[in-house]
Amino acid sequence: MRRIIKETYTIVVMCGAISLIAGVVLNLQIEKIIMVPTILLMIPPINDIGGNIGCIIGARLASALHMGTVEPKLKKQRVLRMNVNATMLMSLLMFLITSAALFSGLSVFNIGPSPLRLTLSFMLAGIFLTPIVVLCSVGLAFISFIKGWDPDNVVSPLITSIADVLGVICLLIAIKIIGV
Amino acid sequence: MKPVVKEVKVRAIVLQGLTVLTLCAIADFISGSVFRAMIRHLELLPGLIVMIPPLVDLRGNIGSALGSRLGTALHTGIIEPRLKMTSELKVNMLSSIILSIIASATIAVMSFAVNIFVGVETIDVLSLIGIAVISGSIAGLIITFITVLIAIAAYRHGWDPDNVTGPVMTTIGDIVTITCVYLTVAALWC
Repeated sequence: MRRIIKETYTIVVMCGAISLIAGVVLNLQIEKIIMVPTILLMIPPINDIGGNIGCIIGARLASALHMGTVEPKLKKQRVLRMNVNATMLMSLLMFLITSAALFSGLSVFNIGPSPLRLTLSFMLAGIFLTPIVVLCSVGLAFISFIKGWDPDNVVSPLITSIADVLGVICLLIAIKIIGV
Repeated sequence: MKPVVKEVKVRAIVLQGLTVLTLCAIADFISGSVFRAMIRHLELLPGLIVMIPPLVDLRGNIGSALGSRLGTALHTGIIEPRLKMTSELKVNMLSSIILSIIASATIAVMSFAVNIFVGVETIDVLSLIGIAVISGSIAGLIITFITVLIAIAAYRHGWDPDNVTGPVMTTIGDIVTITCVYLTVAALWC
């Protein structure tokens, strides 16, 4: 039992430290959030989609690297490109469906300020987030393959935390651009 | 014939995964609503918001670590897919709960340090530790039991734990954690 606790503790605390950056970024914008608390409503789903997308491509690439169908470099990689395209498509599709759900939810419960602007911000954030998370995950999969880390124990928790930070930043930037 | 069969299977997996993930993302609006409902407490307890993403992340990680350990144990037959408290299951559950408490306290201390370092207003370190540990132990207990139930149910139905249990547990973990933080703060702090 001590072994399980010790091994897991280091990695969960390390990931917690990365997610903490997301918290700090939120805290820096606390006045805006108090004015528009609906921003908080969108944080869990955007972080969740980002984390899941990162985990999926990370795990797929880890397997592909071990099987030798992908090499840890960026040029002339057909399988890598297919994986990247499929994951990005999947992510954008998920953001589209989730945005539709968000828009109907905000409209039905009459949650302001503007359901349309909030939903557009959520979608724009998704469009920013998707390629960045995929790129980070590819990089992390390559590094972990070269260093021989276990993708299940290292890459997935790390990319989830990185996605937390990126998700919050993308959402706040999108809100600033759309102007909620 | 073989490649055709394989392709159909891949499509089914992708479709299954996409459906589960999208449903999870939509269910995440529940945690979002609780987070949004907390706004008054976040305003009254400055610095608390910093701790929320890492606490939510922590619970997801501990839950999925437990889930994948249980998945392996079920597949190798160390744990039987029945709800009986074997010593192996007990060790797994207990370590996950202990880990939840120690790591929550660590995150509270780190959050306080970061708040001081960045120079933002913050409540004292003992309050942060209190909120993190109380909500963390309640959430840890609930999530540990749900993880065991889902891992066993998934195994019995022949679902791949990696494709289903992981995302489902993260979503449930988010909802339970944010709700526990909210209730702890509302009941004991303000």
